[in-house]
Amino acid sequence: MTIFYSFLFCGFICVLGQIILDNTKCTPGHVTSLFVVLGAFLSMLGLYDKIIEYVGVGANIPITSFGNTLFNGAYIGFKSGGFLGLFDNMLCSVSLGITSAVIFSFLFSLFTKVKD
Amino acid sequence: MASFKYKDVYLNNFYSVAGIYENNGVLKNVNRYLKDFYDGEKTIEDSEVKMQKEVLNNLIKSNTELVVGGDLMNQITATSSSVVNNNISFLGLYNACATFCGSVITLSNFISGKHIKEGIAITSSHNLASEKQFRFPNEYGAHKPIYTTFTTTGSVGVVVSRFPSNIKVVSATLGSVVDMGIKDANNMGAVMAPAAVKTLMEHLKYTNTTVNDYDLILTGDLGKYGSELFKILLKEDYGIIIKNFLDGGSIIYKEEQEKYSGGSGPVCLPLILFNNILQNKKYKRILVIATGSLHSPMLVNQKHSIPSIAHLISLEVI
Repeated sequence: MTIFYSFLFCGFICVLGQIILDNTKCTPGHVTSLFVVLGAFLSMLGLYDKIIEYVGVGANIPITSFGNTLFNGAYIGFKSGGFLGLFDNMLCSVSLGITSAVIFSFLFSLFTKVKD
Repeated sequence: MASFKYKDVYLNNFYSVAGIYENNGVLKNVNRYLKDFYDGEKTIEDSEVKMQKEVLNNLIKSNTELVVGGDLMNQITATSSSVVNNNISFLGLYNACATFCGSVITLSNFISGKHIKEGIAITSSHNLASEKQFRFPNEYGAHKPIYTTFTTTGSVGVVVSRFPSNIKVVSATLGSVVDMGIKDANNMGAVMAPAAVKTLMEHLKYTNTTVNDYDLILTGDLGKYGSELFKILLKEDYGIIIKNFLDGGSIIYKEEQEKYSGGSGPVCLPLILFNNILQNKKYKRILVIATGSLHSPMLVNQKHSIPSIAHLISLEVI
């Protein structure tokens, strides 16, 4: 059953993105940022982790999960280090994503070319 | 607006290079099609320069005095780089997709004023290079709306000359810049249609003719949605129902190629004009309207609207 819910939730996020792209002047960049903020907001209300428990990986894959991880990192930092801890820890948990994106895009740019 | 009548100005031979997606049967007698977007060069920019160099090498003769042209890259890079070291005067023009008509009009004025005898009008565009220039680089993978246009890849040059040939430039109008407040960099058809209507009406007034006096009215790259808008504007503002109308961008790609609303770019119009319309030998009097969106990515990002321009030349096939 988790697989089914996972499919529904992830699909719902994608449909939402497509509806925004088709009906507004937003660029893909706008939509991505919007979803990150949305994920962080849901995380602040304590909802996103519950959604992950319920639907599994379907909530981990879309970009909203990035917002959730950002918020969780900042929250952990705040608890251990106060106000400065917010800044100290915010990017720690998402470091895996960011660092691998930078390194792998560099590596791939060495032997690939832009295509249509 | 400035309109001109010419006596002895002719379009002589032309040379064209086109990309892979343009190799679909719509165009005839294209001198060379590219095999891929790089064409053996290291970068896409180099490949655009190579296309222009090939066109110039095949057109330049001992009596060529002036090259006028431009492209879509910053500082009209492709044209400036392709004309180096050939000892021929060069005038760079930027009117976005209206560059071709702008160049032909500039040369025609020099020739009919008897300042020069022969010159070359050249233009080019490259799909990947102009996406990078104006919207997003292709590797970013941005989703595109249905009304956007697909920049045509290719380069076309034509010899404008005093020496007779079967295509005569009869008259021309340089358009004025129109801004209807549209801010969407994907919606070029809507940006350019009002400019096309304005220039067309100005030219008809100057020559004292109506749209029915011509066999064909050809616009450059309004696309499917832009052409509809062009017809609606003519009908609602001037009560003109136009039947002898074709849009280069709408016909350069076939339906099954799924290139959104059609082709665009400065090379779209000359490819359709020389390699399709004039090859058919069906039309005698042709009004060619090149439309350009004078769109600066910097100002669009700062939420300014996009101005547009249209230049018109009237051709007679003898």
